[in-house]
Amino acid sequence: MSARKIIPPPLAKQLLLRFLRDDLAEEVEGDLDERFLATSKSKSLIRAKLNYWYEVIHYIRPFAIRKSKNNHLTNYAMFENYFKIGWRSLTKQKMYSIIKVGGFAIGIAACLLIALFIKDELSYDKYPDADRIYRIVEVWDYKGDKGKGVWFQAPFANAIKEDYPEIEMAGRYNSSELFGAGSKQIRPADKAENTYEEGFVFMDQELVQMLNLPMIYGNPAHCLDEPNTIVITKRKAEKYFPNENPVGKLMILNNDPKPYKIGGVIENFPTNTHLQFDFLITLKGDIFWKGEETSWCCTNYPTYIKLRAGADAALLEKKLLKVVNKYLLPVWIKDGAADPTGLSKATSFKLQPISDIHLKSEGISDPVQHGDIRFVWLFGAVAGFILIIACINFVNLSTAKSANRAKEVGLRKTVGSNRSNIINQFLTESLLYSFLSFIIGILLAWALLPYFNLLAAKAIVFPWKEWSLFPLLIGAAVIVGLLAGVYPAFYLSSFMPVQVLKGNVSKGSKSSITRSSLVVFQFTTSIILIIATFVIYRQVEYILNKKIGFDKDQVLLIQGTNTLEKNVTAFKNELLKLSQIKSASVSDYLPIRGTKRNGNGFFIEGRSTVDKSVSGQIWKIDHDYIKTMGMKLVEGRSFSPEMLTDSSAIIINQKMVKELGLKDPIGKRIQNWQVYTIVGVVEDFHFESLRDKIEPLAFVLGDQASIVSVKVNSKEMASVIQSIAAVWKTFSPNQPIRYTFLDESFARMYDDVQRMGRIFTTFAILAIIVACLGLFALSAFMVEQRGKEISIRLVLGASLNSIFNLLTLNFLKLVFISIIIAIPIAWYMMHKWLEDFTYRTEITWDVFVLAGIMAVLIALFTISYQSIKAALANPVNSLKSE
Amino acid sequence: MCVYDLQFSNKCMIETRLGEFEEVILIFVGILGEQAYAFKLAEEFESQTDRSVSIGAVHSTLTRLEGKGFLTSAMGESTAERGGRRKRIYTITAYGRKTLKESRDFKIALWNQYPELATLKLKIV
Repeated sequence: MSARKIIPPPLAKQLLLRFLRDDLAEEVEGDLDERFLATSKSKSLIRAKLNYWYEVIHYIRPFAIRKSKNNHLTNYAMFENYFKIGWRSLTKQKMYSIIKVGGFAIGIAACLLIALFIKDELSYDKYPDADRIYRIVEVWDYKGDKGKGVWFQAPFANAIKEDYPEIEMAGRYNSSELFGAGSKQIRPADKAENTYEEGFVFMDQELVQMLNLPMIYGNPAHCLDEPNTIVITKRKAEKYFPNENPVGKLMILNNDPKPYKIGGVIENFPTNTHLQFDFLITLKGDIFWKGEETSWCCTNYPTYIKLRAGADAALLEKKLLKVVNKYLLPVWIKDGAADPTGLSKATSFKLQPISDIHLKSEGISDPVQHGDIRFVWLFGAVAGFILIIACINFVNLSTAKSANRAKEVGLRKTVGSNRSNIINQFLTESLLYSFLSFIIGILLAWALLPYFNLLAAKAIVFPWKEWSLFPLLIGAAVIVGLLAGVYPAFYLSSFMPVQVLKGNVSKGSKSSITRSSLVVFQFTTSIILIIATFVIYRQVEYILNKKIGFDKDQVLLIQGTNTLEKNVTAFKNELLKLSQIKSASVSDYLPIRGTKRNGNGFFIEGRSTVDKSVSGQIWKIDHDYIKTMGMKLVEGRSFSPEMLTDSSAIIINQKMVKELGLKDPIGKRIQNWQVYTIVGVVEDFHFESLRDKIEPLAFVLGDQASIVSVKVNSKEMASVIQSIAAVWKTFSPNQPIRYTFLDESFARMYDDVQRMGRIFTTFAILAIIVACLGLFALSAFMVEQRGKEISIRLVLGASLNSIFNLLTLNFLKLVFISIIIAIPIAWYMMHKWLEDFTYRTEITWDVFVLAGIMAVLIALFTISYQSIKAALANPVNSLKSE
Repeated sequence: MCVYDLQFSNKCMIETRLGEFEEVILIFVGILGEQAYAFKLAEEFESQTDRSVSIGAVHSTLTRLEGKGFLTSAMGESTAERGGRRKRIYTITAYGRKTLKESRDFKIALWNQYPELATLKLKIV
């Protein structure tokens, strides 16, 4: 080993010099070298090196560490100076400042709106004691037939309350249209004219108490505990009984001779709860059929329980398994179910915390509207991306403009600033921009909130009064300001004064790789959002134009006809006399969501104890239904008024044929609790959302009176409606006519998809705007940097074209790279999204081409302004200065 | 036995008691004389006590002793092993010597009261 190599480890030495006080450096370094040399002679080089490290680390003691030289007075003065210089450079370059602050503010506004949206989504169902309130969910998994549901038998709630002492309260509601919940005609008993109202539900007294619904009038403990009582919300009380206490007043529902007594008035349900009702009708008494309260046959009631304080929900879930054997198994055996023990083993119960219902009900079939935790994540991600893009712009612009600040940095260093001072300066400046942007962003978000509410179908108010808002925003401004400022600060502070002052600065091109990758990131995100928007709109188009098995166009739905009572048929016949009307039908069951449904189990005749039931819908229709809806019969015939035997005839859909395994269905007999003969097979049509498969369905004849569907012959809808209204007037002078269009109601089923499309469009546009602002400023910077070069080229005879190419090609390359990166990511994401729909559009290549072309055009458009300006400039102007 | 620096009585916040390690280092400074600098002191300490010590620890103690007024220091000559860097030579002050002596006398006085050992007539001086 040569003597030359015997030197102390350089890294350790560097470390030592970094922290050691300057005045100690000489003696300490000398001592350590001496020891190093001595150890390397007496022991080994490695031991010496290790020992050197040991010694260095042992010098990290208070007495030896360099003290910070700053004192408070100069600190304050310097910060004042930083602010002044920061403000001056902000006002000096107005365009850059506007882009920098504006882009940032847009990003912050978008983020803020999304954050409010997410906060609202997470705020659902915060009832008092919500941690002890659960919704019971039934889970079954019988030979591959899996599912989760929330409907229970009428006696279920009371039975478990009696059997399990840890349950403090148990309550049910019933919001099924089948039993008359949903919408009704209503009037105070002393008035004649009915008003149509929605939001009717049947509810237990105990559920009202469990949820602690705030009462304005009435006794919360006894508001619904008598038969024929009703509780209404504040807004309805004000509508029907302005300025008085309506408790004890009577109301008439659907012209029912038995009036309902008002037992109480509750506050309106807040928008952030999954229960949205206006009229709560008591469940006291045999209200749907005789003996229902003890019958374990039919599941119609979502059931909620409140546990006693300290009770263990997980333990109760296990104990609840006994309910199956105690109550359900005997019924199944008595009804002769095929495999009752297997069925009982496949059934279990879960307790879903009430505050989870809104976001975490994926896979549970229930009668309420809810959000989706995935959307919350998705929106959060979008917000994050927009913020990152805005931050990137900020970083990009700061480093790009660094050349202009380089001389300042050089001068500051020469007169005694050290690196940390420069870093402080630029971080201060970045904070200044950040705070400015936050203020503008908050105002922007506040101004845009009404439009956002419209877009997202929400009723969010800006939480000015929330105590945590301002500390949170200020904290966010500081964090974002520091994060966005860190890179420029370190970059700018690394300039060497001598080089910078000599004019040798690389004019900001050094970091062009970093800057390019930032541009690529921005454009990738934008392109992904563009593609997502395209695909969502494709899917919306697909849904609205898909062959759905019935003709939804030119069908008018006249609602509330149940008040005509026996005159419905007369009304229908009167309508048919109008020449513009092709056909009319009376049925409450329609192939759009929100109309009546009735699920049953079906068997081939006589096999109910052998086979597993096929669950399907059974709809009551009249003779003209199939014609009016434009459905197609693939076999057999429709119901006919001439055939008296049709009262026991049934028409089933193709899916039902398949599920029952029927070969030649016409004339075969099937049963639920009654036996029917199949007379026709209707082509499968969609009666639920296209997200789900078409389920088995059957039509039978029946009297249903609430909705009259009218197929119109004429294009002139306005005149048709007038003539229909005239007919209505003769039948029901006291009640205004109420109608909708089938195609509109159908489209409303996909409101959420359309809303998502609109939201994505908005955010895609926002992301693109922010990215373009960045690109615009960057290209302006590039033109500025290369001004002399361009002028010389122009003088030497370069064409406008070649200058334009020179300036734009670089950026276009980046956009192309972004397209290549974005396509697979977007494809994967949208593929996942579409998997949610059983019936979905394909993602075809033209979507990508279109998005790519759009991105290129947008980029080209953004850059070309600066490029053309440069190419058209008079070279003399930029060359004359030297 | 707290010794207060009367000259700087307004600074009597400074701890002037001698710790064991401080005392040993102070004695070594006296022994080494012209060669009393951090590295040599550390080496000497290690070879005579068989306890390992880092130069940093010795240096920190020296600085503290200097602060208490027991030592003074000045930059000395440089050698080749030190890469031409000078060393800081520490010299014991009169006050330092006095404190050392007091410390020794106190201990002897204590030892003399110790029943078994007192008869042995320890000859430390």
